[in-house]
Order: sequence, then structure tokens, then C-alpha cells
Amino acid sequence: MTGRSFSRRTFLKTAGVLTTAAALGGFPAELFASGPRLARFPEKSDLILLTSRPPQLETPVSYFKEYITPNDALFVRWHIANVPTSVDLNTWRLKVSGNTGKDLLLSMDALKKFERVTYTAVIQCSGNGRSFFDPRVAGGQWRNGAMGNVTWTGARLKDILGMAGLKAGSVDVSFNGLDTPPLPTVPDLVKSLPVDKALEEDIIVAYEMNGAPLPMLNGFPARLIVPGWYATYWVKALSDITVLSKPFDGFWVKKAYRIPDDPCGCVAPGTEAKKTVPINRMTTRSLIVDPSAKAGLELNQPVEITGIAFSGGYGIKDVLVSIDGGKNWAEARLGQQRGKYSWTQWSYAWRPSSPGTYTLMARATDSIGESQPFEGLWNPAGYLWNKIEKTEVTVGQGVAR
Amino acid sequence: MKKKYIILILSVCAIFSAIIISGLSYAIPGETLHTIELPEIRVELPAGEGLDTTQKYCNICHSLDYITMQPHFSRAQWNAEVTKMIKVMGAPIGEADEKAIVNYLSAQYGTGQ
Repeated sequence: MTGRSFSRRTFLKTAGVLTTAAALGGFPAELFASGPRLARFPEKSDLILLTSRPPQLETPVSYFKEYITPNDALFVRWHIANVPTSVDLNTWRLKVSGNTGKDLLLSMDALKKFERVTYTAVIQCSGNGRSFFDPRVAGGQWRNGAMGNVTWTGARLKDILGMAGLKAGSVDVSFNGLDTPPLPTVPDLVKSLPVDKALEEDIIVAYEMNGAPLPMLNGFPARLIVPGWYATYWVKALSDITVLSKPFDGFWVKKAYRIPDDPCGCVAPGTEAKKTVPINRMTTRSLIVDPSAKAGLELNQPVEITGIAFSGGYGIKDVLVSIDGGKNWAEARLGQQRGKYSWTQWSYAWRPSSPGTYTLMARATDSIGESQPFEGLWNPAGYLWNKIEKTEVTVGQGVAR
Repeated sequence: MKKKYIILILSVCAIFSAIIISGLSYAIPGETLHTIELPEIRVELPAGEGLDTTQKYCNICHSLDYITMQPHFSRAQWNAEVTKMIKVMGAPIGEADEKAIVNYLSAQYGTGQ
């Protein structure tokens, strides 16, 4: 093991927690005794239930002790009520049409004939952390669990569009999935990317998650992956790609999922933005995973403070940790990082030498210098949350041994 | 001549049944069909004036935990949310019912403001 990777002790501790969880058929209920409701949906483990129709399920933070988020633990977020519950690969086709040289109707076999591309990338909902906004805002009240680190495999969007052939004057590319609105008056979830963005090398149509087919609720049989950008663009159960010669004017880009047109994507708390732009690249953020808040620690016993950090596609340069509420900072040890879109795990060895309450903080910086704010930046829709989190722990007098 | 017809009819039948059989096996749910069944999760909202109207309309498009997961809001904020559901999200709610829903939400999930 190299100095930058995780210690064996950390690994065993993590494995122990997971074994316990597995033995109980999910995470221990007492962890959530006074908190969120857990629910088990098909192909998923017990996740935090936000809403059931359409399903919005959050990953318990304990799963982030693992480098890769398992398929059954990844969060679920649908927008409109009629989510696909049955897909026959014999009849499913990915249609590519619009301002193209020819239309395509790609079967799964045809999709798999394109060059196979695999990488690890963080998937994160735009509204992850919305419940921490002050003043509070309406919407899915996510805590930290609307994210995960997943290895995706699929075909390059660029290659698919290349086969169809983009005609001159192509402006936007729109993406629609199999989910449909409950009423004709409800806007269908269709997203778009500017054509230059859509042609970027790393955007794929993924048919595998961590080496297995996608769970239905995560977008079986294929979804768009726009690494580094928020998951609102990662259209699930993808069925239609349309090349447009006019700017896309659908509701979910023109009206929803927009942020203030300002470098911070923020406005004064409680105010509206004068001008907005579609949400795009993820902000840099970190999370302390262990110890958990309110944990009781023993005096003079070594503690491994661990967590994760990621950015909007520029990797992580360093993570600083404070144990005194931000007065002093020290560099954490970074674990492996599978490419610039993946998160990195970090750890910081600490041995508390006096009893009391400690405020642990972590602050990540990516390779282009983007970091995290000390105070939460506010916007009306509750997006881009990346405040430096505080975890309060208590160190006791120690017990007789 | 008659014999020839019979052979022709039989072979046509054979071809058709081959197509039908292969067609059937093609459509028989096999490993290419992936199906899940979503759980029904009931959400009980507290009794109060406007409960029936709130349940009736909100339930058309989403489960009622969309309401219960929200923080408590002022009347103005609940009004804005219900207006958004009608004007932006396409909910078919008339004026009188809109008022009943805003009243219910403000009473049950309000800040008193």
C-alpha cells in the first residue's frame, strides 16, 4: 500500500460496517430511528424515502465509506409520475433524428457495437443538499445522499451522432426518455445540450453501471452521462435524441433547472435572480463521512477522519481538514482517484488529547482552484450546494481499561 | 390438380405457422423483458378543512409525501407553490379549489405568517 492510499485498518473498519449492514438486510434501523423513513424499491436496497410517486430515494451517507456506490444503493430521482416499469429490449430502440443526414433506430445490440467506453464519474442531483438552504426552499428536500460514484460503460454520444451525421446549422441536441407525464398539460421531461457540448469526447450513452445493466429506477436500459455536469442532463431510459436547427425551448431547460447568471450562481438569500442560465458544471465539494455527527470519541485514542471530495470534472488537488471549527487546517491524505470525474476518498489521522466538543470541517480544492465557501451560497431553486460542512463530535474523559 | 392445391395450401400453412411460432417466441417474455413493480406507499395527511380537495388534486400528479417533505412555509410561499403547480406544471385546478388547497397547506404546514 502506498502512502496515499487508505490504511488496512480503514478498509477493515469499512468492510465491518458493510458486513453488519448486509447481515441486517440493509442499514441498521436505529441509525434512522428518529430520522428519515427507509423504503425498499425494486432492485434497490433500503434507501431514504423522499417521495414514492414519482420515486425520489436518497442514499444513506454510510454507503459513501465505499469508493464505488453499489447499484442498489444509488439515489433515485424521477420528475414525472409515469416512470417506465417494463422495458423489452426486443422492442426498445434509441431513435436519433432531426437535423441529421439519416435517422437511426438503434437496438441495444447496435448500441453495443459502438466503441465501448468506461470511466468512473460522480453522479449528483442539482438539488443535493437543498434541505440545508437558509432560508429553506421548496423542492426535493435532499440531505447529502443525492450523489454517488459509479463506473459507467457505454457508447460515445459523439460516435452515435457521427453515424447519423449532423447537418449544417445544428444548434442544440435534445434528449427524451420513456417517462411520460400523468396529464397532457404536464411538461414531459426533455433536456438539451448545445451541440458543441454534445460532441464532447466524454459524453456517453451508458448501458452499464458498475459492470451490470442499469437498475430500472436508474434508467434501464440506457441513460445519458454528462460527466462533470449535474445529473439533470443524464436523461434516464433514453429513447429519443433529436438534433435541432433552432434553440431548444422545452420547459425543463428554458424555465426549470436554471441558476443565477453570476460566477457564484447565487443571489442574496430570499431574492430572485435578474438573469438566469441553465445549470451546468458541478461545484467542488467535500463531505465528512466518518465520524458521524454527534459521535462520541475516546480521549487519546486514534481516530481516522474520512470522507470524499469531487469537482465538476477537474479532479481534486487537495483536501484540508480542521478539528477546531476552522481556526487551523491540515492537509488530508488523498486516496485513489480514477480519473478527473471520479471522487477521491480522503483521510486524516487524529488523536484527541483533551476532552470537549470539536467541530470537524473539510474543504476541497480542485485542479483549477475552485473550492468551497464557508457560508452556504443561496439561490431560489436550491442548487449547487457546496458549503464547507461542520461535523460536531464529543471527546469524553476516557473510560477505564 | 387438386393434389397440387392441397400441397400449396399445406406449405403456405406451414410457412405461416412457422412465422407465427417464431413471432410468438420472439414476443414471449424472456430475458430481454425487464419489469419491476413499484410499491404502493400510503401517506396520511392530517384532518382539516380542504383535506379532500388537497388529496384529490395533488394526488393526480404526485404522491402526498411531496407535501409532507417540505419545510413549513408562509401563506405567500404556499400560494406561490400551488400557483406554480397550476400555471407551470399544468395541474387542472379551478380558482375555488386552489384557494381551498392553499388554506389547507397554510393551516397544516404553515409558519403562521
